[in-house]
Amino acid sequence: MKKGNLVLIAGLIVLLSFQGHSQQKATGKQTEVIILHVNDMHAKIDNLPKLAYLADSLRKTHSYVFLVSAGDNFTGNPMVDMISDKGFPMIDLMNRCGFTVSAMGNHEFDLGTGNLNKRFEQAEFPFICCNMDATGTPLKQPKPYLILEAGKTIHIAILGIIEINDKGIPDTHPSKVTGIRFFNGIAKAREYSWLKKKYGILIGLTHLGVETDVKLADSMPEFDEIIGGHSHTLIEKPMMENGVMIVQAASNLNYIGKTTLLIENGCVTDRSDEVIPITALHKADSSLVKLCGKYNRNEEFSKVAGVAEASLKGYDALGSLMTDALTHQLKVDIAFQNNGGIRVFSLPQGPITIKDIYQLDPFGNMVVTFRMKTEEIQSLITYAFNLEKRLDLQVSGMIYRVTSDDQGHCLGVDLLDDSGKSLDPSREYTVAMNSYIAASYRFNHSDPGTSGSATTAEILIQYLKEVKQVNYTGVKRAFQITKQ
Amino acid sequence: MMFLTPDFVKVLINKHEVVIFSGATVADAVRAYSRRSSKLLENGKFNVLDQFGNQTETGGELTEGQILFLKKRDYEER
Repeated sequence: MKKGNLVLIAGLIVLLSFQGHSQQKATGKQTEVIILHVNDMHAKIDNLPKLAYLADSLRKTHSYVFLVSAGDNFTGNPMVDMISDKGFPMIDLMNRCGFTVSAMGNHEFDLGTGNLNKRFEQAEFPFICCNMDATGTPLKQPKPYLILEAGKTIHIAILGIIEINDKGIPDTHPSKVTGIRFFNGIAKAREYSWLKKKYGILIGLTHLGVETDVKLADSMPEFDEIIGGHSHTLIEKPMMENGVMIVQAASNLNYIGKTTLLIENGCVTDRSDEVIPITALHKADSSLVKLCGKYNRNEEFSKVAGVAEASLKGYDALGSLMTDALTHQLKVDIAFQNNGGIRVFSLPQGPITIKDIYQLDPFGNMVVTFRMKTEEIQSLITYAFNLEKRLDLQVSGMIYRVTSDDQGHCLGVDLLDDSGKSLDPSREYTVAMNSYIAASYRFNHSDPGTSGSATTAEILIQYLKEVKQVNYTGVKRAFQITKQ
Repeated sequence: MMFLTPDFVKVLINKHEVVIFSGATVADAVRAYSRRSSKLLENGKFNVLDQFGNQTETGGELTEGQILFLKKRDYEER
């Protein structure tokens, strides 16, 4: 059989399976409601035309089809995140797909308050979150819940909930949520349990991670379903916990979740969920394909910033490049880069494009500079090492050597210049690092630090444009000695 | 002197505690757990499962106390 025929048959099987599963119940009092759900799309726009086609196909044959996102629509694609009007393409495409509602995810805040307000205004659907209070800040306050209507008699309450970390904020840069108050999601959700009594059907649209979703279900059996995100979990068969159906559809639009609710007398009488691999869908909305192409052809991103004379592989090479950019461009003595902020494994030999740099360093972190004594620099390296139980910081302007015990505890740090001499303990050094390290790592510094106006990625682009060629073969500046 | 507060999460991978920066992904945690496991994960030899047996993608963000297991992919498919 020809490959084309196989594809055609596979497509037919997929289409028939959707229709077979979810025909509108024309008889009796049961009403069928379809909820297509995605989570953690992370600005991966290329599969949205397939989602749009699927949603439109279902809308043709079903009266009540809703399309929801469980948050983290942004961060993960420089074509969306790093343009001047940050996030615009994602919301434009979500509007055209006909999204009904989105939960707030932690990465929504990455856009910054100004851009996020613009996206709220642009979106033809609401963002919801019950456990945040932006009163008194520039950010527009999202509504806690949304009521969906399926005909005149069926109402479905959708409650938005976001994760908060042990510092009481979602996982984003702290400066992005300044002044916004966040509350424990489970405790706050309980205050909305009246939605179940009033509307009959309650769905959680959460960005909590599956483990917290399970705790939420244990605490609130009022939920008919929890549609989750954050942990990028592929729940192939819906989990049942305390009578609550918990679903999640991996991430990056690799899967689309499809919940089918059968409703009678305003209550759910049957529910099911399946995850559809995007690879099983062979048709896409042609107008959205064109639009995605337009957004992807942003010429700015295909420009070459510099050339790698040899491939840059691993943290040492990539981190050395990133930190050299900081010391060179900012004229500081020393710069640090954390391994967790190096987001590609390698850059191949040849041209390095602007897109490559934003994939290497996608977070939009700003640069922070400090005046630091050697003992303060040692405290930073010690903290980072003990956190990871291994070397965590790449460096420019010096080399360092950590002595550790066999349990991975730092016993001492030697700071050396390029010639192997110890740095001067009586001197202050200017030290640059990204704002994530500056905000999140615990280290001694009498200077509170000064934030620059450029991101680390922008500085790297400037650096490559200036030096034109780089070669980091064999470069290593951080060493570990383990004492037995 | 200014001290910034620590910002990290503790998770369990194959019953071993891994302490890692807040905002870290599953891939970051596996990297911190074991370089060898990280390479096997990158090469598609491992899956990451949560405590309920669901597959977790490597870009998934961690929550405090999360329990993850690395399983050889061929073992699961047998």
